[in-house]
Amino acid sequence: MSVLDKLSLSGKVAVVTGAGRGLGRAMALALADAGADLVLTARTQSQLEETADLVRAGGRTALWVSCDITDSNSVHRMIESAISEYGHIDILVNNAGGATAGMGNTLTDIADEEWRVGIDTNLTGAMFCSRAAIPHMIEQGGGKIINVTSGFGFRAARDNFIYTSAKAGLVNFTHALAMTYAPDIQSNLIAPGLFPHGNPAMSEFWRGGKYTPMGRLGEDEELGPLVVLLASGLTSYMNGQAIVLDGGGLAGGHAPTGFAPVVPLPEAS
Amino acid sequence: MRDQFSLDGKRALVIGASNAIGRAIAVALAEAGADVAVATTTPSKGEVTAANSCANEIWALDRKGFAQAIEAADEADVSALIERTVGELGGIEVLVNAHDLPFAKPAPETDFAEWRRVIDANLGGPFLASKAVGQRMMAHDHPGGSVINVASVLGERGLANGAAYCSAQAGVLNLTRALALEWARDGVRVNAIGAGWTEGMAMVGDDESRAKLERYLPYRRLARPDEIAGIAVYLASDVSAYLTGQVVWVEGGALSHV
Repeated sequence: MSVLDKLSLSGKVAVVTGAGRGLGRAMALALADAGADLVLTARTQSQLEETADLVRAGGRTALWVSCDITDSNSVHRMIESAISEYGHIDILVNNAGGATAGMGNTLTDIADEEWRVGIDTNLTGAMFCSRAAIPHMIEQGGGKIINVTSGFGFRAARDNFIYTSAKAGLVNFTHALAMTYAPDIQSNLIAPGLFPHGNPAMSEFWRGGKYTPMGRLGEDEELGPLVVLLASGLTSYMNGQAIVLDGGGLAGGHAPTGFAPVVPLPEAS
Repeated sequence: MRDQFSLDGKRALVIGASNAIGRAIAVALAEAGADVAVATTTPSKGEVTAANSCANEIWALDRKGFAQAIEAADEADVSALIERTVGELGGIEVLVNAHDLPFAKPAPETDFAEWRRVIDANLGGPFLASKAVGQRMMAHDHPGGSVINVASVLGERGLANGAAYCSAQAGVLNLTRALALEWARDGVRVNAIGAGWTEGMAMVGDDESRAKLERYLPYRRLARPDEIAGIAVYLASDVSAYLTGQVVWVEGGALSHV
């Protein structure tokens, strides 16, 4: 068997949360391209239907289920729908998350409810989905969980309390999953760097990536092969780890990259 | 997706192909479509035989390649190897530094000469090869390239009797990050594979220490070399074009442990 054959996800069922647009849609389409059938969830139905149509146009089947990942009842119903449609879940991509109200507030301006909603959206939802899917994965003999964190899961920023705390929590939640369910279930993380998700305002805010070492921002499509890699047999011993796709950002920090002094060694006496 | 990961048309050099991981990476790159030159840095009879048999596997896959023995920390040797790679394969887009000189000894008994040899072989070797290949890859008419360093979990965690080896491995991790930043805008990506405890690794030790390890690992078993090699295909391929300065750990969850 050639090493590239291990990329095939034929016969696998993947659940992708936040699959209506941007990154979630790009990952769903990449998983379908590798042969997986899809369960697509998000809150907004119209966008999900569009993603489902794109999956079907590529020759795979897709079930879409409206779901609020911060509501454990809603998550339970979504996973049960997936099981009744396909009978198994092989891959769970916990992608849903993002900016919530109060995210850039100074600490003293964060309302209790803003903190709860931010943590629920970016951490608790992944726990609810994992908790609901894992018993099925165990019953069928294994599975893959891929959690989407962020560079903010590893480093912080001024006045970014809610999001960094939730995404860092997701990193260590993944470590605990990795320790607990190895080797049958592998749990890993994708950490996208600066991805504007097609939003010109975000591209402008990040100055087109000119402070990123590579000098550009990421495209959602670049995350597709990465999710396939982590869902595939190519990564059968990878567990509890993150791949940070960020053009070199975390390797040195998003400082102006022109800072590169030349310091000679002293002359030998 | 398969086509996107394909390495058709790429030329690779794998240094350290006589050890289990280097060899598995060389074969995986060839399976994915690359031509692959291999080198051993330990010119003992057994190691040269292993490198030659790796080259045989590459030829059996209908890819071009050759095997050569070099002194890892000899700049002239490294340059000659890269010249030959470019000459015989027609270019180089992928460099894999899988150098590995295992060594374990209590620090008070470690001679400075031993320290230097371990640092030179495990860290100096990857530096010299990256330096020589990076210059080529940054040339204005070159499409750019991918440098892949193979490091160990012992670069992230300490180990008794491992002062020299652990220091060298940690050095490889930060060599990866520093070169990645230096070359990020010149089309050369530099990443590392952080290998966990793997079948065929000398640092695993005897049966007793292996059994201890297996009890501790979340997988209750070591990695197979081919399980490490899959990541090299991703890092070598253009699908990882936005990835640089990263250490991708393949260790079965060992580093998740407290």
